[in-house]
Amino acid sequence: MNPSPGKVLFEMKDIGKSFPGVKALQGVNLTVREGQVHALLGENGAGKSTLIKILSGAYTKDEGQIFFEGKPVEIRGPQDAQALGISTIYQEFNLARNLTVAENIFLGHLPRKGLSVDWAQVKQRSREILDTLGVTFSVDTLTSTLSVAEQQLVEIAKSLNRKTRILIMDEPSAVLGEKDLEKLFDVVRSLQAQGIGIVYISHRLKEIFELADEVTILKDGRYVDTRNVSEVTMDDLVKLMIGRELKDVYPKRISAPAEVLLEVSNISRPKLVHDISFKLHAGEIVGFAGITGSGRTELVRTIFGADPCTGDIRISGRPYKPRSPADAIHQGIALVTEDRKAQGLFLKLNVTVNTTISGLKQLCRYGVIQLSKELSLVEKMIKDLSIKTPGANFIVVNMSGGNQQKVVLARWLSIGTRIFILDEPTRGIDVGSKSEIYQIMDELTKKGVGIIMISSELPEVLGMSDRIMVMRQGTIVKELSRAEASEEAIMSYAVGSEAA
Amino acid sequence: MSAVVSKVTKRRSSVLDMLRGSPIMGPFAALVLASIFFATQSDKFLTGANFSLIIQQVMVVGTLAIGQTLVILTGGIDLSNGMIMALASVLMTGLAVQSGLNPLLAILIGLLAGVVFGLLNGALITAIGLPPFIVTLGTFNIAYALVRIYTTATITNLPAEQLFLGNTFNIGGTEITYGSVLMIILYAITWYILRSTPAGRSVYAVGDNPEAARLAGINTTRVLTGVYVVAAISYGIAGLMLVSRTGVGDPQAGQTGNLDSITAVVLGGTSLLGGRGQIMGTLIGALIVGVFRNGLQLMGVGSIYQVLITGILVIVAVSIDYLSHRSK
Repeated sequence: MNPSPGKVLFEMKDIGKSFPGVKALQGVNLTVREGQVHALLGENGAGKSTLIKILSGAYTKDEGQIFFEGKPVEIRGPQDAQALGISTIYQEFNLARNLTVAENIFLGHLPRKGLSVDWAQVKQRSREILDTLGVTFSVDTLTSTLSVAEQQLVEIAKSLNRKTRILIMDEPSAVLGEKDLEKLFDVVRSLQAQGIGIVYISHRLKEIFELADEVTILKDGRYVDTRNVSEVTMDDLVKLMIGRELKDVYPKRISAPAEVLLEVSNISRPKLVHDISFKLHAGEIVGFAGITGSGRTELVRTIFGADPCTGDIRISGRPYKPRSPADAIHQGIALVTEDRKAQGLFLKLNVTVNTTISGLKQLCRYGVIQLSKELSLVEKMIKDLSIKTPGANFIVVNMSGGNQQKVVLARWLSIGTRIFILDEPTRGIDVGSKSEIYQIMDELTKKGVGIIMISSELPEVLGMSDRIMVMRQGTIVKELSRAEASEEAIMSYAVGSEAA
Repeated sequence: MSAVVSKVTKRRSSVLDMLRGSPIMGPFAALVLASIFFATQSDKFLTGANFSLIIQQVMVVGTLAIGQTLVILTGGIDLSNGMIMALASVLMTGLAVQSGLNPLLAILIGLLAGVVFGLLNGALITAIGLPPFIVTLGTFNIAYALVRIYTTATITNLPAEQLFLGNTFNIGGTEITYGSVLMIILYAITWYILRSTPAGRSVYAVGDNPEAARLAGINTTRVLTGVYVVAAISYGIAGLMLVSRTGVGDPQAGQTGNLDSITAVVLGGTSLLGGRGQIMGTLIGALIVGVFRNGLQLMGVGSIYQVLITGILVIVAVSIDYLSHRSK
């Protein structure tokens, strides 16, 4: 925290922005001071991205004014923003993967010595910047060989090399595990100490309390309020964001023991998954906890037939050999992948196509899709799941994360899936949509569906699971009942520090 | 003043909206405008006979472009299509004229040769995972070599059974070839398949995101192989149209078929990145090229200038498409 706020770096006043058919922003204010971490909070679709894109020059504003150190400025493009010292680190990194770390840091402004590049200076200066960030890897490392957390640090180094005064970080924690998170926080604090103003976007409220000095809340493209973090509680923030109490987020679950839906025995996949056995009952949610790389995603992909495995799987007692996702879907298994955009959705296609793609056979007569039947199914799903979209023809790339996830769920709901595998079902999704997705999960289990849920968010694992499997290095190291489980217990098994 | 500004922005964005809403509106508007322009320049342009001629002129490329559209919708590209067409056409004519085979059987064998190449393209792309550009560049050369190995001389004196697509019937005083009708029918069938069958949906899904398609239960190998085979059938049919239009089996044919068909696809608003586009856009794209060539010819513009204008047209059309998508 910064006890004595520095002078105002920039001020955005009454910012408005419209897209065809949508008023994305209206009357939004944001003031950031030197050496301040200013959190930007809001549900998906609240306008956070639009606001920072205006600040970074990716969009131009329709209304309002921007002041930089008290003077009015116009940001007409990324160059203008750069000239003012505004740097942005997006969720998708902007790195040339086949170049070295040093080359990336200097990309676009390599210093010259005569006709050639002054490589000595590039390397030395890169080293200095990395040292200030406490980074140990070599500046000659090929960027593609770095971990996600390390690549993020390269992005930060890149912006520091450009004399950054304002650093915008768009959900920097979304891609990081617990350990890397601490490192990121240290880096953010050291940037803060250098007097850089930081705009920090995150869905994780905990981080905001740990890191931010002030928080500005947006809702539906409008400005709600700016508060001192030391003067608000988590509940206050949730209320400001969605107008709902935090304790309502998880549904009250009552689970009754029922028949075994899925029985997995001794499943292995070389180097990734070792000898895993567990059962999933009808109406049950089994949570899979563990750190990134513990083999959870790899495990469920084999059950879904996306990757090969050895071992024995039974569905309702009948043997099942997953050869392809098509087989698994035929058996009533669905996989909602952790990376919605890369593996789940057809971003350039519309809601209808995305919803019915796995169940077209049921909509066919004589091999032809009955389009009216299809449309009414999709419209029913839109209504049932309260998917916010102008219509069934809307292209999903323009939808918010929460609504995109609902479209993926709609796909599997519409074909009578009995076993849902949800891999990080609420990653990058705002609190409001999260709660709706939990409701959907709860409804499903009441209908006898079994759910396997992988989650790295411990409150979610604890709030939703009937049983919790903790994985480490490709094996299940512990099964915890709902009563036994706590964040501390799960983490100690997940990282291997449990008392013997 | 600011009210005026916002009104203007609104109007501009609603036009862009419309173009975005229906991707073939833009190409269609271009086709209509071009036709109106040429109608003012030449009395002969706006006649049934001239339109029948335009369709005959675009028939071969238009049919090649059906397969090309399917391939491009999956995110691929087919450089081999003109050569597959040439191979099919010299085989069907050569086997009939030189080997004395039943002309219809010869047609079938020509089409099958195309199918073999489609399978080869599909297998190399799906089994080994090679980029379509490389695979079809290879098969382009292989097919070209096979054509020249089979014959270097133009095959003439074709049997009537192989020329029937060039025959005409009369509607309201305008002579229309069966080939023109066949092309329109092929477009209609493809449109229906893409719009209303699981296979058609799969083409778009695989083109948009192959991994998501696989995880949604689509057999992507089968979809891709199927697309290259179906495309090859359209190239074979284009070969038959070529034969009936020129009256010969020409070993020199088809060398620019790939680029000409890609031109039609691109003018029709289909994205080279896959997953976005309309088959009817391609028909319009082919007609735009045809209308420009025909209209310029009627105006007495030399053929090399027609090519020049086609080139400019492609760049302008794609720029408009690109800007309308980026403007959001």
